[in-house]
Amino acid sequence: MSILSRITGFILLFLMWPVMSQDYARMRNNMVRDQIISRGITHRSTLQAMRKVERHLFVDKFLRSRAYDDNPLPIGYGQTISQPFIVAYMTSLIDPRAGDKILEIGTGSGYQAAVLAHITDSVYTIEIVKELGESAAKRLKDLGYNNIQVIIGDGYYGLPDQSPFDAIVVTAAAEHIPPPLIEQLREGGKMIIPVGSQFMVQNLVLVEKKKGRIITRNMMPVRFVPFTRKENPKD
Amino acid sequence: MKRRLSFSIGLLSSGLVAFQLVLMQILSISQWDHFAYMVISVAMLGFGASGTSLAFLKKHLIRRQAVCLPGFMLLTSASIMGILFMAGLVFGGFDAYLVFYEKKNLWGLVFSYFILFIPFFTGATAIGLSYIIYAKEIGKLYFADLTGSAAGGLLMLFLFWHFSPSALPCIIACLPLAAGLLLWSRKAKIPLAIMGAVTVILIIAGFLNPPEIPVSQYKSLSRTLLLPDAQVVEKTNSPYGELKRVEAPALRYAPGLSLTYSGTVPVREVLFNNGNWFGPLVPFDTTLTEHFLDYSTYALPFVLDKPGKVFVADAGSGLLASHALTHGAQKIIAVESNQAAVDMITRNATVPEKQLHFIVALSRNYLLTEDQYDLILLPECGSFGGNSGIRALEEQYLFTEESFSLMWKKLSPSGMIAATVWMDHPPRNSLKMLATMVQAAVSGGVAEPRDHIAAVRSWSTITFILKKNGITTEDVGKIRDFCLTRQFDPLLYPGITTTERENFNLLQDDSFFSAIDRILEPERETLYREYDFHIRPATDAKPYFSQFLRLDRISKMKEVFGSSSVPFLEVGYLILLVTLVQITLAAFLFIILPLVFKKVPGRKKAFPLVFFAAIGTGYMFAEIVLIRQFTLYLGHPLYAASAVLSGMLFFSGTGAALSGRLITNGKRFAALTVCIVLMLALLALGLHFLLRTGTGVPLIMKMIVSLMVIALPAFLMGMMFPSGIRALSLHHDGGLIPWAWAVNGSLSVISTALATVIAVEMGYPAVMWIAAAAYLVAGICTRSRTFSIFVS
Repeated sequence: MSILSRITGFILLFLMWPVMSQDYARMRNNMVRDQIISRGITHRSTLQAMRKVERHLFVDKFLRSRAYDDNPLPIGYGQTISQPFIVAYMTSLIDPRAGDKILEIGTGSGYQAAVLAHITDSVYTIEIVKELGESAAKRLKDLGYNNIQVIIGDGYYGLPDQSPFDAIVVTAAAEHIPPPLIEQLREGGKMIIPVGSQFMVQNLVLVEKKKGRIITRNMMPVRFVPFTRKENPKD
Repeated sequence: MKRRLSFSIGLLSSGLVAFQLVLMQILSISQWDHFAYMVISVAMLGFGASGTSLAFLKKHLIRRQAVCLPGFMLLTSASIMGILFMAGLVFGGFDAYLVFYEKKNLWGLVFSYFILFIPFFTGATAIGLSYIIYAKEIGKLYFADLTGSAAGGLLMLFLFWHFSPSALPCIIACLPLAAGLLLWSRKAKIPLAIMGAVTVILIIAGFLNPPEIPVSQYKSLSRTLLLPDAQVVEKTNSPYGELKRVEAPALRYAPGLSLTYSGTVPVREVLFNNGNWFGPLVPFDTTLTEHFLDYSTYALPFVLDKPGKVFVADAGSGLLASHALTHGAQKIIAVESNQAAVDMITRNATVPEKQLHFIVALSRNYLLTEDQYDLILLPECGSFGGNSGIRALEEQYLFTEESFSLMWKKLSPSGMIAATVWMDHPPRNSLKMLATMVQAAVSGGVAEPRDHIAAVRSWSTITFILKKNGITTEDVGKIRDFCLTRQFDPLLYPGITTTERENFNLLQDDSFFSAIDRILEPERETLYREYDFHIRPATDAKPYFSQFLRLDRISKMKEVFGSSSVPFLEVGYLILLVTLVQITLAAFLFIILPLVFKKVPGRKKAFPLVFFAAIGTGYMFAEIVLIRQFTLYLGHPLYAASAVLSGMLFFSGTGAALSGRLITNGKRFAALTVCIVLMLALLALGLHFLLRTGTGVPLIMKMIVSLMVIALPAFLMGMMFPSGIRALSLHHDGGLIPWAWAVNGSLSVISTALATVIAVEMGYPAVMWIAAAAYLVAGICTRSRTFSIFVS
């Protein structure tokens, strides 16, 4: 690439920046309206956080134009950044509040942690893949998320020193829930786990710890009603 | 020369078949099996396209046959090596998971198609050219072609055990190289010497430095190797795939573990086959009295009883066998068809020989050899998260109505069949498993299946029990206690109430429970008809347990889940449909369409072309049914398929070699087609019955029966192609032969995908009936003037 073309590119980027930023803000608002509110999510702090977090900064440069599309996107290392609706749905299900201490297992790009950090005071996130964890930590630091602590390590053990947690978000589907995580969940706390292909989250399991009992709820973000019967929701 | 040519064609054909098998293996390691199938089918269209190119360049190529015939063979060899050196682009240029998301990956897939197409195109051009030049010797050449193909398949059975998939192309490339060198001609020594030298250098370079096969980042193995300090500690190759043993300090496996479990989930080494999860390595310790599976729904059968004699079907790495061992089972028969896996397990774990016996066989068939069992444990169904459809096109003879009826007969008076399924959304696996168990009970003479079935549900799994002497009140008490201590929910037992079903694991609505209850009612057929997925039990004629997709409900699925999600919901069958559409389009675009612009010699040419289309379709349809049905009969998927395929090709080749002497007039040709139609119709009617009644006889008898059943139809069908070519050679200087070759090749490839679609939708007998009908059409075509050689 010649020096002239680099300079031209830089000038164009400089001139276009305000326009592009506005464009992303508009796309974010549209995303919240068309993909999240329209599907019935009304959790106010979640919606606010989703409007604020610049999702396009959590994906590869080549995918930025698709960052606000209604689907997951690849981030390398066999991982994806979840569909915006799923991030919002998972966040709303654990009902985070200011002052809560939240643990996330599977940092990935750091997007889910960033959304949580807009609502609560402290977010701990553990990533087992070193390269992903390091890049997410740098990204979150550059974006000024000082209330997120990224830990590179095995999420199986959780963070006993910081426990109990008000909520735990497991972003990677797992065929079993590590017992230490259940232990580190505060009485009355909630844990959310996706179940299914990362390209199509079919089901979420919400785990609640209440008076020594552990209750799970299958929360289906996409309701499937067989032709054979009429819908009969319980709640 | 003619003998050399026959030998050369045999070598080339064996190389092409061997390369096809290696490509399947490499693509299965690198991507999903389905994509392997899709890419290969397009590559195989090279056979059809070679006919098109011959139609255009026939005269030119015949004039330069001294260089062209061996030259195309050498090019085949060189292109095989070229593909190996471009492995990063060909096998890693696209990622199966991202094809639905990124255009870049779609283009990568298209690029792979074109590159993989080349060796099949050049190889088939050499074969087709020899057919045109030596049309009168077609019987011998076709014999060499078919027996060479059979030998290629058998050769790979040996080579897969001893070489890694990345080294195999170097060995295989020697076959077309030898074929080309056999036809060495002084008239073209310089170009042939250059081509030969380049090929030899490529082969040596490949041997010395075999390139790495890229693996999709979304495969289980790739993701496991990202764990800290993860490493492959052992690797073996076999026809079943590339088996790897992996260790990592963070590798744990406890499927559907109860949330009450407070112990440590042990770190395990895990086996991966072709990059896919195969199972964890577990100790077979007779002194242990507790197993982590006791904290899962898998423990249900052991809660009810203490079985003495246990059968573990499709045992995998032996997880369920180790569980049975801790519950004091006296004799455990663990049947697994993957020989390499059994070898690796027994090398790495101490197997208590008194109690545990690993058997290499097809589980379904081994059931026939033993008397009775107290417990039959089935492998888990579906996958975590319900990403079903992955095995949609795999024949699962273990999960058919007939198989469950057999298991029912093999149970001791208080015996049980236990099956665990992953919860999926929308529910499919669980409903079909229950439907199959209910059907088995009904076939076994049970009036009220509800009294014989129990099931419990955790947050992620359901375990079903079918008990021969019924679920007793005592059993119900045990199930209730088990559920309470593990925080599971009972799903089924006699007298269960609605409120009992949701204490710990809540669902959003009761549609699942409603479907479960309806399966237990006599009017279950109504549910099967109305439900949005196929949940009617699979049968031996349609052995696709994991095929749930209903074509008439795709639009609803798209509406509910979004069009980009549907492929991940039911990927297997969709890929087959996409394959069928794309190869049909590709065949039209690259083979049929170019021919439209070229004048077809002669009049009434439609008859010969329909003839070759019909025999291409008929042969493939019959071959697919015979291979798949005999796999069950012979009881060993790999060797059975190889034996049946090789036997078929050999007998067809023999038929081809003798066709010149036997099919000498129109009456004989007509009689030949009538015989084929009758034989295929007989097979459509009676094959299933024949195979079912004869499954208990010794293997040697089965082999003899198989060859007897296959020999005559294969022999007769093998005569059709060379007889047709011989007839065409007498008209317009053989101008129709390239067309015939193109049409026959294209239809053969399209038929492979089409036969599977028909088998899935209508069953194997329907496929065989269509094969018979295709030969009937071919027979009618032989009455045309083009085949006048036979008309006195």
